[in-house]
Amino acid sequence: MIILAICIGCVLGAIIGINLPMIPYSYSSYLAISIVAALDSVLGGITSTLNGKFNFKIFVSGFFGNAILSILLTYLGEKLNVDIYVGAVVVFVGRMFNNLGMIRRYYIDKWSNKKSEEKISTENKAK
Amino acid sequence: MSKKKVALIVGIMCVILTTAIVIQYKTVSNASKITGTSVNSELKTEVLKWKEKYEQLYVELGKSEERLEKIREIASDNNKDSSDLQNELKKLNALIGTTDVQGKGIVITIADNNKVTNENIGLLDDISFYLIHDRDLLRLVNELKNAGAEAISINDERIINTTSITCDGNVVLINGKKMSSPFVIKAIGSQEAILGAIERPGGLLRNELYKYGLVSSIEKQDKILIYKYNGVINYKSINQ
Repeated sequence: MIILAICIGCVLGAIIGINLPMIPYSYSSYLAISIVAALDSVLGGITSTLNGKFNFKIFVSGFFGNAILSILLTYLGEKLNVDIYVGAVVVFVGRMFNNLGMIRRYYIDKWSNKKSEEKISTENKAK
Repeated sequence: MSKKKVALIVGIMCVILTTAIVIQYKTVSNASKITGTSVNSELKTEVLKWKEKYEQLYVELGKSEERLEKIREIASDNNKDSSDLQNELKKLNALIGTTDVQGKGIVITIADNNKVTNENIGLLDDISFYLIHDRDLLRLVNELKNAGAEAISINDERIINTTSITCDGNVVLINGKKMSSPFVIKAIGSQEAILGAIERPGGLLRNELYKYGLVSSIEKQDKILIYKYNGVINYKSINQ
């Protein structure tokens, strides 16, 4: 169900994005950092769904809040001549890997459980 | 929370996310089209930022000029002397090429003759005869001026007082901008006079351009728009 929703969402988003105009180049660094933030939120959302702890408010506020906050931090960094966005990227990407790891573990556990159950059931049948 | 609802929310977020990704991808790939795939990304960003700034300022300049024009019109509305001056000013601006002008005239398109190669060329021929050179453009502009053309542009680059047409390797520099074949030359003026002058036997067109197949088309048009000179005219040595 969720995987289907993600696939449909990605295709729809790509179609919309192709038809939208380009943004000025000087804003592209802001969009880039907000993309990383949003990607992190989506992966976090998927992980929490798998764990059964999905919370609508946390997810949506994280999605938009992180994106906007990272844009503001990048802007501040530009004004102060410090590459603050590097820090944001490090944090977000680190969390993304964490979440990906959790998702991977969840599916591997599921898969290996299934295998062992099958094994038990075939053994039962053999008996 | 039902599973359906969760899927819907995650799906919507994915739409937003991929839209942003695609837009970003488009922007970045377009940017590398402008600057080429150079290694120095800092310089690249700098160039793109300046380019953007330039474009913005250019649009602003156009708006300011429009506003100035309006203010001038309002100022000269109820005064005969100043409206005469206003007309004079307009005329002079058209003459020196700082306003767009419109009128009857001729559009000539000349292009390199690409059918000629080193294999099928005659023994005594030179391949460079089959190319458009700066001197061809210079002579053509000269003939057009001689025939009374009032405004001339080459590839939408207005020919003004300070315009030079020079050779720059395999391109031609006009007003400092690189141009290459095909050249679209627009001239506003008496159509008969211009056609008669440039098509005359022994003229540039008959003698050289037609002979080597360089003329793509010559059209009479009743409504030609010639854009203004889009650089800045600076006087440093002229004292009023």
